[in-house]
Amino acid sequence: MLESVIQNILNALQWGSYYSLIALGYCLVYGVLLLINFAHGDIFMVGAYIAFFVSTLLLGHYGFLPFALPKGLVLALTIPLTMFLTSCVGVFIERVAYRPLRRKGANRLYVVITALMAGLILENGNLALLGASRKNFPELLDKTVYTLGSVAFTNVKIIVILAAFLVFWLLNFIVTKTKIGMAMRAISYDRFAVPLMGIPVDTIIVFTFVLGSSMAAIAGILFAMSYPILDPYMGAMVGWKAFIAAVVGGIGDIRGAFVGGFILGFVEILVVAFFPSTFRDLIAFTILLIILSIKPTGIFGVAKTTKI
Amino acid sequence: MLLEIKNLRVKYGNIEALHGISFGVKKGEIVTLIGANGAGKTTTLHTITRVPPPEGPRVVEGDILYKGQSMLKVEPHDVVQKLKIALAPEGRHIFGNLTVEENLKLATYARKDVERIPKDYELVYRLFPRLYERRKQRSESLSGGEQQMLAVGRALMTGANFLLLDEPSMGLAPLLMYEMFRALKELNQKEGITILLIEQNAKLALEFAHRGYVLDTGEIVLAGDSKELMNNPEVKKAYLGG
Repeated sequence: MLESVIQNILNALQWGSYYSLIALGYCLVYGVLLLINFAHGDIFMVGAYIAFFVSTLLLGHYGFLPFALPKGLVLALTIPLTMFLTSCVGVFIERVAYRPLRRKGANRLYVVITALMAGLILENGNLALLGASRKNFPELLDKTVYTLGSVAFTNVKIIVILAAFLVFWLLNFIVTKTKIGMAMRAISYDRFAVPLMGIPVDTIIVFTFVLGSSMAAIAGILFAMSYPILDPYMGAMVGWKAFIAAVVGGIGDIRGAFVGGFILGFVEILVVAFFPSTFRDLIAFTILLIILSIKPTGIFGVAKTTKI
Repeated sequence: MLLEIKNLRVKYGNIEALHGISFGVKKGEIVTLIGANGAGKTTTLHTITRVPPPEGPRVVEGDILYKGQSMLKVEPHDVVQKLKIALAPEGRHIFGNLTVEENLKLATYARKDVERIPKDYELVYRLFPRLYERRKQRSESLSGGEQQMLAVGRALMTGANFLLLDEPSMGLAPLLMYEMFRALKELNQKEGITILLIEQNAKLALEFAHRGYVLDTGEIVLAGDSKELMNNPEVKKAYLGG
């Protein structure tokens, strides 16, 4: 009994980690632009694919490299390269899709629709470019299974969980302690006044997309390491769920997004422990709906007040 | 003239808000723009600080010269960063989710003269001791008057030597209001900071400023020394309560 509880907690933490890392990206962009960036789930997919191409290239699969690099080194190089390249995709979308609308003062609704379209373009662009066949992500880390009593877990699982916490700690540091993080919080409260402080708003927005996209990239790598089958639609459902997790946590607050991701992870695993797995999403979302109807601003959310 | 507005016509969408106004501010001066609601005062300041459309006004004619150079092509953040012109906006626009100290710190974001920053903190905290007492508080918990002090303090922390103040007295208790204007006067005299002030409270503004302009529905209708304006029968009737 205890073993299965621990096993389930580890699974919940693992899935919670993916959701949290993606939810943080939703949260950051929402905080700065009041935009729900529906393309973000697909950025996660793009991250996984970029990681696939970078790592297979470095492993010498395409014959570009005269020699094959050892796996450990490949992983160490894949992470930063993927983060960088995925950020470029995120920033590119902001430049070509969101910024022009912002400049014209378009209603936020249109920007959200644009985000949805950007996500669909990423999915279908991938499908058109690479075909429908799934990709097998190479094993970059020798899987080790540890057993404690009858609890079994892999090194990958532990790495996923630790990485999520580490990334959150780092992000929290950036947002609360650095000047650029302060500027991000300032924009979320009052965008008008930010340039009056001599701060270029667009620079802060680009930085926000870089942060969000690189976290989605990390989530993509970690996901591919655990579930090494990639397909163009892998980001859609995970992305929706992460978005809901962010809303449940309170989308304006990174702690909310982080906690929300884990809540979703736990709810899902808990449902599966007691019900047939086909009930998972139905019951999980019902529980989240109940949380929201009790606290519409999310667990960490507060309604903004202004003083006259 | 340090700042020269030349025949400025601006529009919001299709509606013209300023119909070709011209005025100027010399270095070290305090100049006030007075006028009723909707006269175009805030629009004038937003045009100077380059608030971008759609929220900001669009210049259709005329020019704004700063130190003889047109500033119409300057980016909004560069107005602060490069030209050292700072606005304390109407309605304060403080960052309520940040502490008082963080608000002030954020204003130093783009400053290159890092060695002068501690001196400016000292100055702001000396002018507004209350901000020092509350420096660790989230600024949305401040009273309206304190938020106003923070808005002005923040403008000072940008290292600007030209301040644009939009209704700094709004929401302030009379005592605090005089305290603030005394502080601003001191800044002008001791630090040589040039001030362009917008006020509903015309009496207060004219007592404080060297010169003034009267703006009426997008046009400048009167100009002169503060004393002259204060004794002008039309100004008396329209803005000083008879």
